[in-house]
Amino acid sequence: MTDLPIVGFVALSSAMFAIGLFGILTRRNFILILIAIEVAMNAAILNFVYFGAFAGSVSGQAIAVVLIGFAATEVAVGLAIVLALNRLKGTINVAQATELKL
Amino acid sequence: MSLEELAFLALAVVALITALAALLVRELVHTILWVAVFFVDISAIYFLLEAPFLGVLQLGVYAGAVTVLLLFGIMTTRKRIFSREAATGITAVPLALAIVTFIFAVAAVGELPQSDQPVRSFDPSVLSVNLFSTNGPWLLLLGLIMMAAISGSIYLVREGRE
Repeated sequence: MTDLPIVGFVALSSAMFAIGLFGILTRRNFILILIAIEVAMNAAILNFVYFGAFAGSVSGQAIAVVLIGFAATEVAVGLAIVLALNRLKGTINVAQATELKL
Repeated sequence: MSLEELAFLALAVVALITALAALLVRELVHTILWVAVFFVDISAIYFLLEAPFLGVLQLGVYAGAVTVLLLFGIMTTRKRIFSREAATGITAVPLALAIVTFIFAVAAVGELPQSDQPVRSFDPSVLSVNLFSTNGPWLLLLGLIMMAAISGSIYLVREGRE
């Protein structure tokens, strides 16, 4: 049993999401954008776990398990795109990725 | 202030500092180190919320697999792995957007239903039963998407593609 304040958790997860959003919008390196997406995704997962516990339901944790799997999948596909982009353009700067063909 | 609240406060501060450091430092390898600390810190928050299975999963998947995968991505795409990135230009529009998002999210707390009872913790066995009954379709969907992602990744990086 724990009685942590709801405001603290919402402030933490929204700050994490804001940092992730800022990273996605400002960085130009593909790997750094992936890391920023991971930070934002962790904020969402943390919210699922906390509000699940707050509502007295285990479904929050169950969905968090699924979301962690989704996040890992997304990194794997993202790195495959990074490798293909690096082979095609010789750089992983997203400003250079101007074609849909990889 | 209880010991639990103090621990949460410390973990929250570390999480925010490491997330910011990961996105602002200029060496990509240092970014990976910061983000690894961030993932370990988040797993500590799961343990604090009495969700031990998620804490272990976070350590294994994020702090373990994702970190190594990102490091591998950096090593294969650079000639010298310690080369520096361009500095982050802290531009006004993304910063304003991030701050507005944060304020809106925190302001929404007032709209939430208030509850006096403490949050509940669950045994991992309860979680596993839920994962294979109520939330079973999500787990199946995850399996299907992972399979599609693996075939897609192999297609993207295979040798000799036109």
